[in-house]
Amino acid sequence: MFYREAGQFKNTYHADQAIFPIIQDRWFMALVLLVAFVVIPLWANEYWFQAVLIPLYIYAIAAIGLNILTGYAGQVSLGTGAFMAIGAYATYKLCTAFPDLNILIVFVISGFFAAGVGIVFGIPSLRIKGFYLAVATLAAQFFILWLFNKVGWFYNNNPSGTITAPPRELFGIMITGPEAHALTRYYVSLGFLSVMALAAKNLVRGRVGRSWMAIRDMDIAAEIIGIEPLKTKLMAFAISSFYCGVAGALFIFCWLGSAETEAFDIFLSFQIMFMIIIGGLGSIMGSIMGAAFITLLPIFLTNVPPMIGIPIATDLSKHIEEIIFGVLIVFFLIAEPHGLARLWQIAKEKLRQWPFPY
Amino acid sequence: MSEQNRSPDILLNVEGISLSFGGVKALNNISFDVRKGEIRAIIGPNGAGKSSMLNCINGFYHPQEGQITFKGETRKQMQPHKAAEQGIARTFQNIALFKGMSTLDNIMTGRNLKMKTNFLWQALHLGPARREEMQHREAAERVIDFLEIEQIRKTPVGRLPYGLQKRVELGRALAAEPDLLLLDEPMAGMNHEEKEDMCRYILDVNDQLGTTIVLIEHDMSVVMDISDRVVVLDYGKLLADGTPDVVRANQDVINAYLGVTHE
Amino acid sequence: MEFMENVFVLPFLDIADSPVFFLEVIISGLLSGVMYSLVALGFVLIFKASGVFNFAQGAMVLFAALTLVGLMEQGVPVVIAILLTALLMVVLAILIEHMMLRHLVNQEGIILFMATIGLNFILEGVGQIAWGSDVKKLDIGIPDQSFEYAGMLFNTLDLSAALIAAIMVTTLALFFQYTGTGRALRAVADDHQAALSVGIPLKSIWIIVWSVAGLVALVAGILWGTKVGVQFSLVLIALKALPVLILGGFTSVPGAIIGGLIIGVGEKVVEVYWGPAFGGAIEGWFAYMLALAFLMFRPQGLFGEKIIERV
Repeated sequence: MFYREAGQFKNTYHADQAIFPIIQDRWFMALVLLVAFVVIPLWANEYWFQAVLIPLYIYAIAAIGLNILTGYAGQVSLGTGAFMAIGAYATYKLCTAFPDLNILIVFVISGFFAAGVGIVFGIPSLRIKGFYLAVATLAAQFFILWLFNKVGWFYNNNPSGTITAPPRELFGIMITGPEAHALTRYYVSLGFLSVMALAAKNLVRGRVGRSWMAIRDMDIAAEIIGIEPLKTKLMAFAISSFYCGVAGALFIFCWLGSAETEAFDIFLSFQIMFMIIIGGLGSIMGSIMGAAFITLLPIFLTNVPPMIGIPIATDLSKHIEEIIFGVLIVFFLIAEPHGLARLWQIAKEKLRQWPFPY
Repeated sequence: MSEQNRSPDILLNVEGISLSFGGVKALNNISFDVRKGEIRAIIGPNGAGKSSMLNCINGFYHPQEGQITFKGETRKQMQPHKAAEQGIARTFQNIALFKGMSTLDNIMTGRNLKMKTNFLWQALHLGPARREEMQHREAAERVIDFLEIEQIRKTPVGRLPYGLQKRVELGRALAAEPDLLLLDEPMAGMNHEEKEDMCRYILDVNDQLGTTIVLIEHDMSVVMDISDRVVVLDYGKLLADGTPDVVRANQDVINAYLGVTHE
Repeated sequence: MEFMENVFVLPFLDIADSPVFFLEVIISGLLSGVMYSLVALGFVLIFKASGVFNFAQGAMVLFAALTLVGLMEQGVPVVIAILLTALLMVVLAILIEHMMLRHLVNQEGIILFMATIGLNFILEGVGQIAWGSDVKKLDIGIPDQSFEYAGMLFNTLDLSAALIAAIMVTTLALFFQYTGTGRALRAVADDHQAALSVGIPLKSIWIIVWSVAGLVALVAGILWGTKVGVQFSLVLIALKALPVLILGGFTSVPGAIIGGLIIGVGEKVVEVYWGPAFGGAIEGWFAYMLALAFLMFRPQGLFGEKIIERV
């Protein structure tokens, strides 16, 4: 009764093509942004920032990246972790080589490095499809991590073999490094997510997004109506890797603080993939919901059972987590291949008719 | 349709095309031309090489011999998207719509080639990108009006019935504003009423937009009614070429259709 | 400069220097290739019969090996433990068909593929909860000794593995080619609905083929487990079967064998002769890069047929 489009007439194509054509959606989005930017920072403590919110936003950026490639352009990738690693290592190299460079700009430049490598590993996609391509991306996953592990130049030959976020400040506020406050890092992550999610949404609803989906749905027909497969696929690889690269940079510099290549291993790639399957293939909003779900589930598992009196060993809860992820993946693929995003849509449709369903 | 507004210009000229897969000859030394503004039909029994012919024209198959001249430009090999850039659009025998997208998006995708703003503007969705999007939306809506599919504008095409899908596919091809439109069995599997609708759209496209059309069709009455000239293929060979009346009278054609054994 | 020499000159000098050692490297490569072939075989079987690219094959290997070791730790005699595990793999196949495949008939390949990634995680989780996640030693009595012959070192375990693999491959090839079930399997792989419409019982076919793949996984698990111990990294070894499949083609049993041998030999030779120049551990990615390079030139694999696309 409160959520319906009746009476909201659109006079221009412009209004009809807005991201949120219905006024209630616009209000809802404004509310979400208000909560994220104002309410949460007022209320959340260090634990919530560090354990939940910052990783959630960073994962969401990577998930959007993978969703562009897999959900929109239809190219399966198991190399997300490696592309995130490129962003992280590029940031490390850049900010140790040019200490005065603005750290936010470094994050973006690192994204371009990832995009470049993404294009290289995307070239096979012209000739190979489906699972074959998945294997090609596995090559990227293993080769790139091996490279970062073996070649000392990438981690400045430091004996521990790890990369550590050096302290960098902007306008007198510490952004990275051990001194950086969780709140600052929260705003940086949130800022990147908001801008990048909006840009992704704009891309997928315009010409570029339609070319991607055309290649995904029927590549031959797409080519015949004048979409160049090579250019379109490489663009998807580039933009997707850019998102992953930025996410990888934030992963180390705004969240973990320091890491080895293991942080970016194939399980990270799987994790991101789960986010988009559960959240919804081909949905930007779904990527964020999926990231939230996958971030929150382990926290739920470690905290809730002890609360209700069932203590679970960490080792066991890790395996339970695996099983739950697996079951959910299968469940979503069977029941709702469009994921949480579609469930959300159905809920809205129900709400639209409530309380008079006929 | 009528003789006087048909100009003698040749839009497409096919010369000596031969195509084979492994040892199988799909097309054998085929030549014909298509005049600007006409409706040209290609007919023939199953396996005659009709679809292969269309595939050669829009660059999807590369014939081993022969050449194709379109708008005065001769080519031997060409990528399909280049053919699209030159102004060739087509529909498919088995519907090849983008199933996950709405009718409107499918038709907008047909206009892809005409959209030029780069992706950075698109990511911002401001200025030129937004203006361009609106301008093309208007063009897409004109196609939607023309084909009378307003009510399914936002429906995902996967959910539409067969006849409507065929119509959306025609819309997608029209959205590209092609000079040459290739239709591969536009009426296959339709009932009588749907066929009449489709005929009307084809004639209207030809008449109002001046689009040259090459179509493959099995329904003889339709072919004879709407086409200006007909090419008949049989087992990859050209059997006859001429106006419907000429073709109808041709003994080879009659034999092929009535199933006289080949010597 | 030194690096160039290490890559382009020295390895070849080494090879020329000691051809016997080179032969030994090749043979040990062939033998470990057989092990890859075994895992790849499980993939090929399922792909041939259900068009499913079963990412969980590796987890099935782990699951089978874990169960076997677990049972033996409980004091179950070897033969009975193997039989029980085999039975469990069949039960697992039935469960997978009932809970998963049945609901995914006629879905796109990529959806099925992702579903098996889910299955992969379920099996890993269940296996490790049930039997623990420490490295376990598996010994079912296959001798694991080295001996010298014609100046080269051999290992009895490797040789037994090769023998077992050869027997399995022959049996499976005959089964596919000459039995009614084999023919039905191939029909199902081509088109689910068409197979159903001519009266092939899709469900039982799927159960059969997943059971066979489960048994293949058990054999692979026994051999790998004996060689490197039963541990989580078996899953990663199974991932190596992917490049093998790329080389051999997804639907070819001989392809899986030859692909496995190529990868096995290539990996060993490169690691031994070129490893030092690159700082070692090339094994981790060499197979994938080889497959990738190969894909660029022959996307259909060594034995796959060229696909003519039609519209």
